[in-house]
Amino acid sequence: MGSNPRTVPAPMIVEDWDQLTFRVNREAYRNAEIFARERGWVWMHTWLYLGHETEIPNPNDFKVRTLGGRPLIFCRDSAGEVHAFLNSCPHRGTVLCRENEGSTRLFQCFYHAWTFRNNGELAAIPDAGAYESSEEFGASMGLRSVPRLEIHEGFVFVAFDPDVPPLLEYLGDAADYMTMIEQQHVGGMTTLPGTQLYSVRGNWKLAVENAMDGYHFAPTHNTFVGYLRESGYAVTDDNQYAYNLGNGHGLLVLTGHGGRISMLWEPRFGEDERVRTEAHRAEMTQRLGEKRAHHVADESHILFVFPNLLLFDIEGLSIRQLEPVAPDQTDVRAWQLVPREEDPDTRALRMKTVVSFVGPGGLATPDDIEAYEAVQRGIQATAGTVQPELDYSDMSRGMADEVKGVQGRSIDEGAMRGFWRQWVEAIGLDDGLEIHGERPASFLAGRDVR
Amino acid sequence: MTMISNSASVRCAGHTVTRQEVEDFLYTEADILDHWDYDGWLALFEPGARYEIPTTDHRPGWSPHETGSFVDDDWDLLRARVKRLKSRKAHAENPHSRTHRLVSNVRLSEGDTEDAFRVSASFVVHRARDGHFDAYVGWYDHLLVPTEDGLRFRLRRSVLGHESLAAGARLSFIL
Ligand code: FES
Ligand SMILES: [Fe+2]
Repeated sequence: MGSNPRTVPAPMIVEDWDQLTFRVNREAYRNAEIFARERGWVWMHTWLYLGHETEIPNPNDFKVRTLGGRPLIFCRDSAGEVHAFLNSCPHRGTVLCRENEGSTRLFQCFYHAWTFRNNGELAAIPDAGAYESSEEFGASMGLRSVPRLEIHEGFVFVAFDPDVPPLLEYLGDAADYMTMIEQQHVGGMTTLPGTQLYSVRGNWKLAVENAMDGYHFAPTHNTFVGYLRESGYAVTDDNQYAYNLGNGHGLLVLTGHGGRISMLWEPRFGEDERVRTEAHRAEMTQRLGEKRAHHVADESHILFVFPNLLLFDIEGLSIRQLEPVAPDQTDVRAWQLVPREEDPDTRALRMKTVVSFVGPGGLATPDDIEAYEAVQRGIQATAGTVQPELDYSDMSRGMADEVKGVQGRSIDEGAMRGFWRQWVEAIGLDDGLEIHGERPASFLAGRDVR
Repeated sequence: MTMISNSASVRCAGHTVTRQEVEDFLYTEADILDHWDYDGWLALFEPGARYEIPTTDHRPGWSPHETGSFVDDDWDLLRARVKRLKSRKAHAENPHSRTHRLVSNVRLSEGDTEDAFRVSASFVVHRARDGHFDAYVGWYDHLLVPTEDGLRFRLRRSVLGHESLAAGARLSFIL
């Protein structure tokens, strides 16, 4: 950001415990300096979700991926070890791997033909004798690994900052919800090929808000709710809660929306599936105990892991990764996570059901995208300095309950507030947050699910 | 996508179907969709038919029952999709996109069953919405059945030729 004049207005967030209001400055969604700060502070200094281990199941498998605008190679070496390398030749910077995925022992740069093993070691430099003390030189010219890489339950995270805390510490309570996903089936879970790759004309934070927002469900998804009703399932807002898990991670616990393939039956799944679901549930109870099985099977969870991972553990399981490319544009990548071993009829039902909701061709997600693209366009109306007090979005819903210590509901905006508080801290603006009145003692309400 | 033959006609269920008949069918469908006549569109399907759009990283032979996809509609979902699109509450398509479709490179070949045949064609669908203009290109890979009332879809499948969906190019309309 250097010596350029600052373009970020202060404050970005105003929380007022006397008025019970929480307001977010709309520059957060469109300001280029904010975007640069997100790249430089958030994406550079926190753990980021890279991908799932099962995307590269075999030795020598690789995928390329971009995080924080940096091209990466996500691969498994010949010995089976998982790596994340900068996808850039140490010689002069050429993108080394120009395929999206595949299997290889060696990555060769086409420019001057330097060749690297898939564990990062330099394998060959043509005419290496031209370099002074070529052995030492060669040792310094391996592929550049991302400084940190840790895996939790198959979810691979990386950090560009070597000094981030251990992954499990960073994930906190979010880690257990990932464990609950892995526990859904005795054989564990795997990602499937067939990745939904799409881009939206909206700021990445609008996608986070949308996922943590139960309030929009009925009006935005009116047509989808109608379809669920017709197929014999009532949708309610009862007993649905929002949790701030700390470090900006958020969780919605939903029990009123739809069934869960192989875990919670509903009429549209058909009678055969009812029998299979009952058998699976009996197995889970045996394996996990009644209480844990209840939390794993009967509740839908939408988990947000700050800043770029959303896990939709709903009818089926979708992993969604957010990659901001501009203040008003976000690349989204979504994978389906399924039990490794599954009855083919259940699998077919799962795929159909999941895809009917999620993804840019589903019956519901397009309306979500429409909503936050419409926010991105609509907030231009208040941009500028003529009436700066109007240039805020309101996220106060449920603050009165928060003061009383009542557990936040999913149809309130408490999960969003948790996200924004973390965000304003993470972008490194000391005057980004303005607080009036007395904050209630605790924002964090743990859940006893073990 | 596997290559299919380029015959001027195909025998199916005791009928001889010509390429011209198939082209007329596809052109009519394009016209129906461009005019947002979704009841008319649903009438082009046999009961029990399917509508599929694989993801952009799709490889030949992938089944939507075993991989992720953009659209994996059985008959119930296809009818739900049409019902939704006809509603004013289908926010992603209200107001409607304007579309303009070009269909070409139509080829016919035998199906795996006696009563259906395969059609492959190229499409370009232009779509205008929200001040943006997007082009979608790809291949149709359909299964058609001859009936008393003309041709009908058993499987309608659109395979995108893109590497990913561009910003704003969500598939909220029929591709
Ligand atoms: S830039 Fe890769 S070998 Fe020269
Ligand atoms: Fe939604």
